Amino acid sequence: MRWFDILRLRWRSLTRRTRVERELDRELTFHLDQEAEVYRQAGMSPAEARHAAERRLGGIAQIREECRDMRRTSYIENFARDAHYAVRTLGRNPGFAAAIVLTLALSIGANSAIFSVIDGVLLRPLPYPKADRIVRIFFRSKSFAKFPVNPFDLRDMRARNQAFGCLAGMTRADRQLSGAGEPQRLSSFAVTAGYFRVLGIAPALGREFNTQDELPGNGNVVILSDRLWRTRFTADPNIVGRKITLDAAPFTVAGVMPPNLQHPGNDYHSVADGDTVDVWTPFTYQGDASFRGSHYMEAIARLKDGVAMGRAQADLDAMLEQLALEHPDSTKGWRAWTVPLYDETVGSSRRLLLVLLGAAGLVLLIACSNAANLLLARATSRQREIAVRAALGAGRSRLVRQMLAESLLISLLGGGLGAAFAFGGVRALQALLPAGFPRASSIHVDAVMFTFTLAIALGTGMLFGLAPALQAARADLQQSLREGGRGSTAGARQQWLRSALVIGEVALACMLLTGAGLMLRSFVNLMRTDPGFRGERVLTAAVSLPQATYPKRAVMWPFYNRLGQLLNDIPGVRVAGMGSDLPWTGYDENFGGFAIEGRQPPPNAEFHARYHVADANYFQALGVPLLRGRFFDAHDTSGSRAVMVINRTMARAYWGTDDAAGGRVAFVDNPKDEDWVTVVGVVGDIKDHPSSASAAPAMWWPVQQMPFGFSNMSLVVRAVGDPARLSGQIRAAVHHMDPNLAVADVRLMNEVAGASFSSPRFALFLAALFATLAGTLAAIGIYGVISYSVGQRTHEFGLRVALGAKPWDVLRHVMEQGVRLAAAGIVIGLGSALLLGRVLSALLYGVSAADPVTFTSVALAAIAVAALSCYIPARRATGADPMTALRSE
Amino acid sequence: MSKPSDLIQGTLDLLILRTVSLEPMHGWAVARRIQQVSADALQVTQGALYPALHRLEQQGWLKAEWRATETGREAKFYALTRAGRTQLEKELAQWERLSNAVGMVIRMA
Repeated sequence: MRWFDILRLRWRSLTRRTRVERELDRELTFHLDQEAEVYRQAGMSPAEARHAAERRLGGIAQIREECRDMRRTSYIENFARDAHYAVRTLGRNPGFAAAIVLTLALSIGANSAIFSVIDGVLLRPLPYPKADRIVRIFFRSKSFAKFPVNPFDLRDMRARNQAFGCLAGMTRADRQLSGAGEPQRLSSFAVTAGYFRVLGIAPALGREFNTQDELPGNGNVVILSDRLWRTRFTADPNIVGRKITLDAAPFTVAGVMPPNLQHPGNDYHSVADGDTVDVWTPFTYQGDASFRGSHYMEAIARLKDGVAMGRAQADLDAMLEQLALEHPDSTKGWRAWTVPLYDETVGSSRRLLLVLLGAAGLVLLIACSNAANLLLARATSRQREIAVRAALGAGRSRLVRQMLAESLLISLLGGGLGAAFAFGGVRALQALLPAGFPRASSIHVDAVMFTFTLAIALGTGMLFGLAPALQAARADLQQSLREGGRGSTAGARQQWLRSALVIGEVALACMLLTGAGLMLRSFVNLMRTDPGFRGERVLTAAVSLPQATYPKRAVMWPFYNRLGQLLNDIPGVRVAGMGSDLPWTGYDENFGGFAIEGRQPPPNAEFHARYHVADANYFQALGVPLLRGRFFDAHDTSGSRAVMVINRTMARAYWGTDDAAGGRVAFVDNPKDEDWVTVVGVVGDIKDHPSSASAAPAMWWPVQQMPFGFSNMSLVVRAVGDPARLSGQIRAAVHHMDPNLAVADVRLMNEVAGASFSSPRFALFLAALFATLAGTLAAIGIYGVISYSVGQRTHEFGLRVALGAKPWDVLRHVMEQGVRLAAAGIVIGLGSALLLGRVLSALLYGVSAADPVTFTSVALAAIAVAALSCYIPARRATGADPMTALRSE
Repeated sequence: MSKPSDLIQGTLDLLILRTVSLEPMHGWAVARRIQQVSADALQVTQGALYPALHRLEQQGWLKAEWRATETGREAKFYALTRAGRTQLEKELAQWERLSNAVGMVIRMA
């Protein structure tokens, strides 16, 4: 192959020698000739004259190089040459190159993947015109930090405010579509007039709702989503004005929204933002406008141009004060709270994503210091080569550029591979994202991500290449050349730099390990916490009764009663019950201001509790334990004594004991004897979410005594065997009762519960991934430095052994060196983790950000890994043969 | 041999532009001329001359062409461009101001 190489080099030197280069040579030759001529005429011999002229001119190679620099094209030429050279040097050391490229690619890929999630979720504007002017409005009081609004208060705010161009409310009101095909449950919202104007999006066909539609009797109009219009109504262009059947009643289509309209998100019976809403119906104002105790409207508004948030807030506050004077019974005590829609949408996920980006950034820093360290080590062994190049006229900046070309090449390769990793990573992240993660639908792999990848690839290349490049170019020419063949020992300065890099790496890795450890601890805590129910072998489903066919409780009661019996008759069902909602699906209806016999609420507060209904078997089907008294039974009917079951938190909070059975609660003012509801049982607590700090007071009415119509019911079926097999029979039971009913959300209770763990699981998974990567990189870093230093000191170890040192002494000596570096890193890393703990604390559950167990474990693990990484090179050091060492001199 | 610091930084450009402004010249002649006119007081670093010529050419202040000298050999002749003339005037004015100022300080101090 040699002749081939020679041929190739010749060919290159021929083609590379451009016309410009030749001209420069001719120019310089002419100069030398002229100068020599002068000296010759002064009496020198031709040879002497030539020498004198050359001395006078200076180093031809240097002049050539400088002239090349003056021509700007030299940068490109040089870069091409440097890159080519870099490829060759790396190719000579494929293992070394692959190691750096791979570690960089992994960390760049991680950063790019997280970045594209952040870009989609945090950076992209919400998909509405002038989205930054849209705000959500909540109520807050002493007892409730964030609460929905009462519709009548909302109507008054809409009429009186000065700050908003448009203010509207929405509330979840699912509908059932019947007609052609199987009845279908539609996700639906009742919205007030102006709702779509707040979003800034007009219907593609037809019109938006107006205040006329809000009047009782006018509400049977509907706006369809583009998707429903296309899938169920064959995109009929004349749909406006047609009648469709919702909840067994005729509704006139008023309009169709444009495609890809995204739901802005809501709290109460939430549809996640970006999810599909199928239809919107007008919110109907009926009932007594002076009673304003019930809060279920979610307010959203668009600020007028030029109105600041602060002014809007002040405007609302003033208005609420006025409303409180007008309705002292119900509106008093509430204050308004405006939140930009963007903050409301992404607020909860921002911290998690930024923490993850931070972690990915730390991994990248570690990979950088690793690469820098390996390059430094190599630069040292290449000192002689560099010295020769310098002696041949390479300027310092030229050498730095040459070295940088190499690191840039590495980082670009890493970036390219990293982009591929990121591409897969984004897919994986999307699959892993917790259920209901805001704006998950707007995460894409796109040009922005690739630009970001390129940018960090170039950035890291500069970062890890600059130190070794400067170091190498600083090398003392004469000394390097004089040291000749003997591998030159690293100068103290260089050793210091490399040690600092390793300490930094270990410190960063410790920070990540601590973060991951804390997340692991809190995840274990979460999993270990008693959920308050037994989710195994439980199937759940949702049924909702249309208002038209089930207008009153008197019709619902027999339906629920009979359905309960049918479900329990299904073979393979251990016990089946129903209730208004399921555990861990967010917070439910809350009722405030009831009376408790013989007790007074604390000053400035009121008795309040989550309220639900449940039938006789609901608690057993879910596996909720009974602490005192009894569950409901078949005798608790509309004709019998009014009873309720409460949870332990409510019993303790309002009765001061678990044993609250026999206590009485009234929901009307000045209760007569028959108005009192008796507590017959106390059950275990279930929190709103597994990560909620504590359970809230909660109470249940029996289904057969529900004080008003609950038309949505969750079925809970505990199976003897595999619950999934029962879904067909559950559907059949419902359809046996009423073939027009939809059975929705058929899910295993474990899935429901699992979904609420998905956010901490997501965080833990990524944190563990990054920490593992960081730990591995840091171990490689320690290994690299120690094994390099052992290689450099083979001679010294040989001498030591020759002078009588035991292998153990050498081993200990080397191990000490590595462990000392690691220890410094660990101290710095744990210290920084302690300082940064506050960032994490919001993501933790049941563990302090300064958890001593985690910190100790990380320290021990890090020491162990460090010792392990030193052990191999240390073993090699003990094997130093005194004879070889001496001979190599 | 003289070091670049013998010439005040930046004056080499001025000297080259001024020298070439009389007539197109090749590099060696430029060096000779500067030396002769300054009565050998200014030793132009020949090694620094060519990069400077190339830079000025790159900046568009000089243009170069190959043509025969009196002896018949081909040489690269540099001539001032229009932009170069403007630049020369600017640098000359600057130099005047500076040297006047320095002279004044030296006399008055």
